[in-house]
Amino acid sequence: MEIKAQNIDHKDIFYPPGGILLWIIIILELITFGLGIGGLVYYGKLEPELFHQSRLQLNTSIGTLNTLILLVSGYFMTNTVLKLKSGAIESAKKYLVWTMLGGLLFVGLKSYEYVEKLTGDLDMGDNMFFTFYWLMTGFHLAHVLVGLVILVFSWWQIKTRPRSLQVTDLESGAAFWHMCDLIWLLLFPSLYLIF
Amino acid sequence: MEKKNLLILFILIGMTQVSAFLGVFNLGVVNYLTWLVMGLAAVKFFLVAFVFMELRKAHFFWKFATVLIGLLVVVVVGFWA
Repeated sequence: MEIKAQNIDHKDIFYPPGGILLWIIIILELITFGLGIGGLVYYGKLEPELFHQSRLQLNTSIGTLNTLILLVSGYFMTNTVLKLKSGAIESAKKYLVWTMLGGLLFVGLKSYEYVEKLTGDLDMGDNMFFTFYWLMTGFHLAHVLVGLVILVFSWWQIKTRPRSLQVTDLESGAAFWHMCDLIWLLLFPSLYLIF
Repeated sequence: MEKKNLLILFILIGMTQVSAFLGVFNLGVVNYLTWLVMGLAAVKFFLVAFVFMELRKAHFFWKFATVLIGLLVVVVVGFWA
């Protein structure tokens, strides 16, 4: 089976790996979450004790585990693209499945953490720390879910129509998936560690 | 390439463990630890962007924009938190 590979010069400003539209989205998302983190530390400075006590109510072990899961999942995603570029479609499919399993595990753990918080009456209106916690992790979780949908679609395409598949399509999905990594790598220390 | 990526993954996992360990301390009081944790986060951020996302192959503009945003977040958190 052949995969359509395109000879693209990524040094061209209009053709970053994953595509220019995806990279515009990535930059905008990073700015948005960056502003959110800025707001979090600003309010944290106003009420340091409240933020410290609230941070202690988060489960750092789950946060750490979720970080590790996303990193491993990102590694599998990178290998998926590498395998696809080298024409090893079966390997690419396997790596993609592992990537998706990582995503599902992240969603499962996050859901468990949310239930834990809600049963402890730590909802969005509890205090400013938890307002930021719910908004930013919830918004991030929405991105992970969208990423999973893109990955499922990519997997389906590799499985059913590999000849019509272009590597750039998968690269775009991969870039979106890695964006979820990037955002989480900034969110995790800001919410779970520093206060 | 795959071996290199695996090595990067182990480095990322190690740095995450160190960050989680540092979180045991009250970082709001010990400011240099906040910088250390955010510094580790920045290194992880850049490793994922440049190695896993292949940003190293992209035009300077995309590298600059990504590095700038990552550093801005780290500096803002480091100074304010």
